[in-house]
Amino acid sequence: MKKVLVIFIVLVAMTGLMFAGGAKEAADDKITIVVMPKLVGIPYFNASEKGALQAGKDLGIEVIYTGPTTADAAEQVKMLEDLISKGVDVIAVAPNDAAALTPVLMKAKKAGIVVFDWDTPADPSVVDISVHQIDDRGFGEHMWDLLVEEMGPSGEYAIVTGGLSAANLNTWIDFGLEYAKKTYPNLKLVTDRVPTDEKQQVAYQKTLDLIKAYPNLKGIIGVSTPAPLGAAQAVQEKGKKDSIAVVGSSLPTDSGPYLEDGSLRVGTLWDPAKLGYLTVVLAYNYLNGTKPYDGQEIANVGNITVWEDNRTVIMGPPADFTKDNYASYGF
Amino acid sequence: MQSKIKKLFSSKEGILLIIFILIFITMSLLSPNKFLSNYNIQSLAYQLPEFGILSLSMMLIIMTGGINLSLTFTATLSMIVGGLAMSSYFTATNMPFVSVVIGVFVMLAVSIVLGMFNGFIVSYIGVTPMIATLGAATLFEGISLNITKGGAISGFPLMFLNIGNSAIFGIPVPMIIFIVVLIFMRILLEKSKMGAAIIMIGCNPKVAEFSGIKVKKILFQTYMIAGFLAGMAGIIMASRYNSAKESYGSSYLLQSVAASVLGGTSISGGEGKVLGTLLATMILQIISSGLNIFGLNRYLTNVLMGFILILVLAINYIAEQLKKKK
Amino acid sequence: MNRLKKIKELPLLIVLIAISVFIAIVNPAFLSLENFLDLLKSNLVLAMMAMGMLFILLTGGIDVSVASIITAVNVILGQTLVHFTQNIFVVVLIACAAGILLGLMNGLLISMLKIPPIVATLGTMSMILGVVLYTTNGNWITGIPQNFIDFGRIILFPYILGDGRAIGIPIQVVFLIPVILLTWFVLKHTVMGRGIYAIGGNIDSAERMGFKTKKIILFVYSIEGLIIGLSAVAHTSIMRQVDPNAFLGFEMQVIAAVVLGGASTLGGYGSVFGTLIGVSLFSVINNGMILMRIPTFWQKIIVGFIIISSISVDMIQKKREEKQKVRVDVEEGGTYAV
Repeated sequence: MKKVLVIFIVLVAMTGLMFAGGAKEAADDKITIVVMPKLVGIPYFNASEKGALQAGKDLGIEVIYTGPTTADAAEQVKMLEDLISKGVDVIAVAPNDAAALTPVLMKAKKAGIVVFDWDTPADPSVVDISVHQIDDRGFGEHMWDLLVEEMGPSGEYAIVTGGLSAANLNTWIDFGLEYAKKTYPNLKLVTDRVPTDEKQQVAYQKTLDLIKAYPNLKGIIGVSTPAPLGAAQAVQEKGKKDSIAVVGSSLPTDSGPYLEDGSLRVGTLWDPAKLGYLTVVLAYNYLNGTKPYDGQEIANVGNITVWEDNRTVIMGPPADFTKDNYASYGF
Repeated sequence: MQSKIKKLFSSKEGILLIIFILIFITMSLLSPNKFLSNYNIQSLAYQLPEFGILSLSMMLIIMTGGINLSLTFTATLSMIVGGLAMSSYFTATNMPFVSVVIGVFVMLAVSIVLGMFNGFIVSYIGVTPMIATLGAATLFEGISLNITKGGAISGFPLMFLNIGNSAIFGIPVPMIIFIVVLIFMRILLEKSKMGAAIIMIGCNPKVAEFSGIKVKKILFQTYMIAGFLAGMAGIIMASRYNSAKESYGSSYLLQSVAASVLGGTSISGGEGKVLGTLLATMILQIISSGLNIFGLNRYLTNVLMGFILILVLAINYIAEQLKKKK
Repeated sequence: MNRLKKIKELPLLIVLIAISVFIAIVNPAFLSLENFLDLLKSNLVLAMMAMGMLFILLTGGIDVSVASIITAVNVILGQTLVHFTQNIFVVVLIACAAGILLGLMNGLLISMLKIPPIVATLGTMSMILGVVLYTTNGNWITGIPQNFIDFGRIILFPYILGDGRAIGIPIQVVFLIPVILLTWFVLKHTVMGRGIYAIGGNIDSAERMGFKTKKIILFVYSIEGLIIGLSAVAHTSIMRQVDPNAFLGFEMQVIAAVVLGGASTLGGYGSVFGTLIGVSLFSVINNGMILMRIPTFWQKIIVGFIIISSISVDMIQKKREEKQKVRVDVEEGGTYAV
């Protein structure tokens, strides 16, 4: 008898908690689009969530924005498998690792689901449309241009990156380095890119060490949103904001204090909310038979570029923000 | 018949089975047609084995009174080195079958070596398992990063993907591997001399030593086997994800500890049942998948899993107390 | 000389000194006053959390939820600062209260429901972090009031450098020093402290000796919570914003630092001095990696190698000592060879 009571308690507790959380059950006749970021719970992907959900509201369709709690490709695969079971119309995913997602995306296609990638490309053979926020090569080269604008074409510099396994960060850095070899031969990279685990505190500590290890350092590129801020914080603390130029890909709203005092010279990024919005709109159009085309104007986003392969969409050029205009950005 | 049902109810595994059935029913009710669908059951059958095998590996170490913080990095380093061997050979010779054989062989060999490394430090040098495996984890992760430079190893022959993604007579291959591992573990832990030795060591290593058990040797071999299991899980993961990266499966570390303890393995060692760990693994798996399908926010799923872990242990404790009062 | 040999922490101290000397030879910048002060500032949160963890490890327990607890307290105090009050004392009180409450939750599960510490804290870790991330969505809390930021920037005993900058001891030591002293005092000079060590040795014997083990366990997790609360205040005053993801994985570093300092995960062994050495070792290694210009992809390998070697050295030393004092210890549920 006591055992039955015990088990009953478990069941009640479970069901109670479940309904406390609230859930979205896809109605079978409504269009359902899944937008999956690399991970949830960081400001960048929170902003894209807002955009994606807003598009869902504007279009009157159901958007499920969900992703793993850590940047783990294996978690993404599992969540996608479960979503295929659930039955959705479109899956738009920002893969943590392109190769890892290929088998599950193949399964999705077999189940008749339209597959997009956004923010980071997946394997082209399994993806119908690839939505990029900017051109990767262009962005990488742009960051190096910004650095040289601030520190000059010669001198020592370092790269502080979010993590060694982040494919998109590595792509930008690799393009940038390639560009620098040709265009800025007098720039000297002092050491391999320094990882910061996507944490500002770590970027701060590592930059402090870099400043001490390389006293002739003239510039730092921070790649990933917390990195430039941590680097700027260290530079400012050491009173080196005039001698070391920090540029990077941070969010304008968080960069305020560092732009104001000059420890961060300029930041460059794109609007993640727009990216989320664009992805949903393109997915919706696709389901209705409209494929994206070059120069197409998308409401609330602007004019997009589409490459000759007819499947790669570029949202637009990056936005630079400095202490004069950062406040005008909403992200 | 009456007494058999009573026995079912009063054993730890019996309770786990009942909890599993209840949760299964709940999930099916929450997402009708979706959870109980053929596709999803198949999906579960593919997802479970890697978690299950890792949990068994962790359980083995916990039973000796230790813990293996390098579990997931053992799996990933093995899959990276093996994957590298496999893809290099394949690119050079374009012979899929031989490449796959080489890949699997290297993965398992590396995992055994890593297990031996841990075993040596824990049993022969005598470092406490927690810090030994923590150091090993950092070391393995570092070597993995050094090899992959942060990227992933890919370029595997299509044949390799079959291990993780195809089925024989309708049963997914990973599940077949899992069942073989389960049988092996059951025999090892519950029917073999070595299993009895492991349990004794977990209970009290000094007493075990005095009863003539070669504690150091057994401990060393245990870590070897644990490494081997991690390697097997690594093969399945590399195949399912079509690539090898040092970060794969990192969430499995704490989850496998949770699964072992939920399954009745005592954290101080000396007690544990394969069936218990299996059931606990299944419970955690369907909660995660079921809630995913239902659409519950991922964070709340984590909250719920943590809560259930505590709840079940609390219930076990209360049940024990009630039994004592009788 | 013999008294020197008796210091339990000697092997680790030697390792620390050896590594420091090595780094200094490769890059003398390591030895600068500025570097030491930077190290102090970067690692004082780790040091404080390590003190808290020491309490736990001494009782034979472990707490993997510390990272979520400090995150939760950070969020609470961040919101308090932005929306309710700018008074630092009030904020410190709130942070401590929050920390104690969360720590108490762990303590209750472990002492009352006898849930093994690793499982209980695993569960609470998921729950606390899940709730925090659900409510904040990972968004940073910015807009920390200026007076708090200014407080965080205060430097004690400023020393003017050649280039006109002032460096000195960061104000956060007003949190660090009391925590260290508190830990040392409780462990060495109170009955509670002796009870903690006794529980770590063998909880049943401790009970029989008359120690109220349940109360002591509750105390230990509560005081850890208090320390975490203070750590949160120190951290936020340095970083000037709250990032709910900032401490992911931090619990492993804290545990590693304490165990590196000689504490045993089975309980009963460990000291404040040893823990400080462990924390120092940790910070020096990380600092040294970059100062010595070691390539990024070799750093983790070296760190792992150092952890294993220094602990092995410590272990071998301890074993030699044990051989000299032959003790046959056959108790029920006895401890594994340390």
